[in-house]
Amino acid sequence: MIALARALGRQTAVIVFMGIFLLFTVLQGSMFTSAINLSNISRQVAIDAPHVMGQVIVLISGGIDISVGSVMAMSSALTIGLQEYGAVWAVAAALAFGAAVGAVNGLLVTKGKIVPFIATLGTMGVVRGMVLAYTEQRSIPGTIENFGFWGGGSLGMVPVPLVISLAIMIALWWFLRYTVTGRGFFAVGGDKETAYLAGVSVARFQFTAFVLSGTLAAVSGVLLASRLDSANAQIGVDTPLLSIAAAIIGGASILGGRGGVIGGFLGITSLGMLSTGMNLMGVNTYYQIATRATVLIVVVVVDALIVNSKLSAARLPLERKMDEHLRKEVVIV
Amino acid sequence: MLRTSELPERDVLEADPRSTVATRGLSLSGLISWIARPAQTPRSAKTVRFVRKNTSIVLLVVLLIAGASVSPVFFTVDNLFNILWAVSVLGIVALGQCILIITCKFDMSVAFTVGLSGVATITAQNAGVGLLPSFGIGILTGVAIGLLNGVIVVTTKANPFLVTLGSSWLVYSIALAITNSKTIGSPYESFGTLGRGRLFGIVHYSVVIFLVLAVALEIVLRHTAFGRSLFVIGINQRVAHLSGTRVNRTVILTFVACATAAAMAGLIVSSRNGSTVANVGIGMDFESIIAVVLGGTSLFGGRGGALRTVVGVLVLGVLNNLMVLLNFPIEAQQIAKGSIFLLIVWMDSFLREDKR
Repeated sequence: MIALARALGRQTAVIVFMGIFLLFTVLQGSMFTSAINLSNISRQVAIDAPHVMGQVIVLISGGIDISVGSVMAMSSALTIGLQEYGAVWAVAAALAFGAAVGAVNGLLVTKGKIVPFIATLGTMGVVRGMVLAYTEQRSIPGTIENFGFWGGGSLGMVPVPLVISLAIMIALWWFLRYTVTGRGFFAVGGDKETAYLAGVSVARFQFTAFVLSGTLAAVSGVLLASRLDSANAQIGVDTPLLSIAAAIIGGASILGGRGGVIGGFLGITSLGMLSTGMNLMGVNTYYQIATRATVLIVVVVVDALIVNSKLSAARLPLERKMDEHLRKEVVIV
Repeated sequence: MLRTSELPERDVLEADPRSTVATRGLSLSGLISWIARPAQTPRSAKTVRFVRKNTSIVLLVVLLIAGASVSPVFFTVDNLFNILWAVSVLGIVALGQCILIITCKFDMSVAFTVGLSGVATITAQNAGVGLLPSFGIGILTGVAIGLLNGVIVVTTKANPFLVTLGSSWLVYSIALAITNSKTIGSPYESFGTLGRGRLFGIVHYSVVIFLVLAVALEIVLRHTAFGRSLFVIGINQRVAHLSGTRVNRTVILTFVACATAAAMAGLIVSSRNGSTVANVGIGMDFESIIAVVLGGTSLFGGRGGALRTVVGVLVLGVLNNLMVLLNFPIEAQQIAKGSIFLLIVWMDSFLREDKR
């Protein structure tokens, strides 16, 4: 059993994805696999995917970003609110805002020596306040015609946001896998000390990870603004938890050094299919939330069991073992 | 025998701090380290050490003075009691969170535990259970959630943050299913006593519960073997295990204590409102962590205390109260709270000597 689990080890995301897909295909047949339904699911997923991929990068580098939801809300508000200056400037301002919040997070973590969890918790509150101030707690309608194309349009049967998200995913996958800079994130998240001794600038990687995460959260915000053609203050309230859950289901580790953007994409897709599939079956919202919770707990627990069995299987010297243990104790670095 | 109090002050032994200022140049951090530089005489060195270790107390005093000077209403007995009353619910949740954080764990499910315990209590009352037994049911809900969290974390060694994140959704869905997403009201008139009543007509019961719980926890943490073992677990679980602590049992107990505190807070909230909804405690997961951290408890475990957490909670309460008195709009309140939180945490990490 453990051997099977270990063989499938790193592919939790694929398993969860395939499992949920097959489950609903069997339960609902053509209703679930119809082109319209799949296109609906992928549109909803594609809007959330960028912030999940940002979260994955931060998790890989050993941090965590709680501020994604607020950033998403503020950038969607900016996208809609600044439309009088033209769509290009509005979107640019939204993305710049995301990058700026990411930079603040990065500085707080690297220069301020504040734990990522706490630092981003603080910026989450500040940015949420900005959102409330900017929207005046009302819904702002969009003014530019055809702006809805980016979030709501389709190329044939393929939703435009899916194309954008997939392009980002492929670019990030290539970046993380085939560039020295990209692999640096794994080094920093895997073992800060070793990375430092190997000559990697730990602070620079942590900083970059937060900037990327902020920018990607802003991309989600822009896509959402385009899809809704409006913005409000309630956007993204539960996004941080969703984003972390999807990244973890996708194989990222909260201890750093592990994860991938494709996994993150599959993770958020699994959660999207879960809610859409259950909606189609007319399942109550309560049971939907309960199912999402169960999936998360099962993934976390199975992952922990695999990691533990690996640790005890490898015969490490006592010192190293204690070292491993110590590192596991640091909940959120 | 050499006692620690007889050891020379570490600050006095450090090199002349002015040299650090010179090397740092004219930067903000240099300025702060110069302001907080170790003094030459032992007595002021002690003061500086106190300030360094208790940023939150200093901040609370500053806020109190600021409050007294900007608003005539602020320093009235009524208003001060109001502040205590307003923070007591969050305070009880934060106390539970605090002991868990000392062991280097988290509980993200406290927010919805607050909701579910209230829902369970009022549902039981509507089903004909007496007032006092219904309290028992509310508390038991907390114990059950704590057991669930604790057992999963201990047996699988999974990350507590993620496990409790999952269980918080589970708890929320149960509360939603029971209430059908509606507000439910209590059939008992006297149910409100717990939340709104006052002991001897002076202090609210919830405030008394909060403060008594804080003092009791502080005594347990400082003066019992169990309490001290929490610190050891927080610093190094392996060492705690090797030195004979029953780590698993202690951790489960801590999770149970944390969830029970949240359940108690849930009883008080629902009693205060006379009714409850599933998401009544929303946001308390993050807020309780903020209060604990503001008080100076380390997120890495092994450092902190219950009374510190009371100070952290009071800082939040006084800040809220002041901003309401000064008619700050809600968005400005949010921005100010977030910025002050970041500022304190940054100062704290900067001023602390051992960086733990």
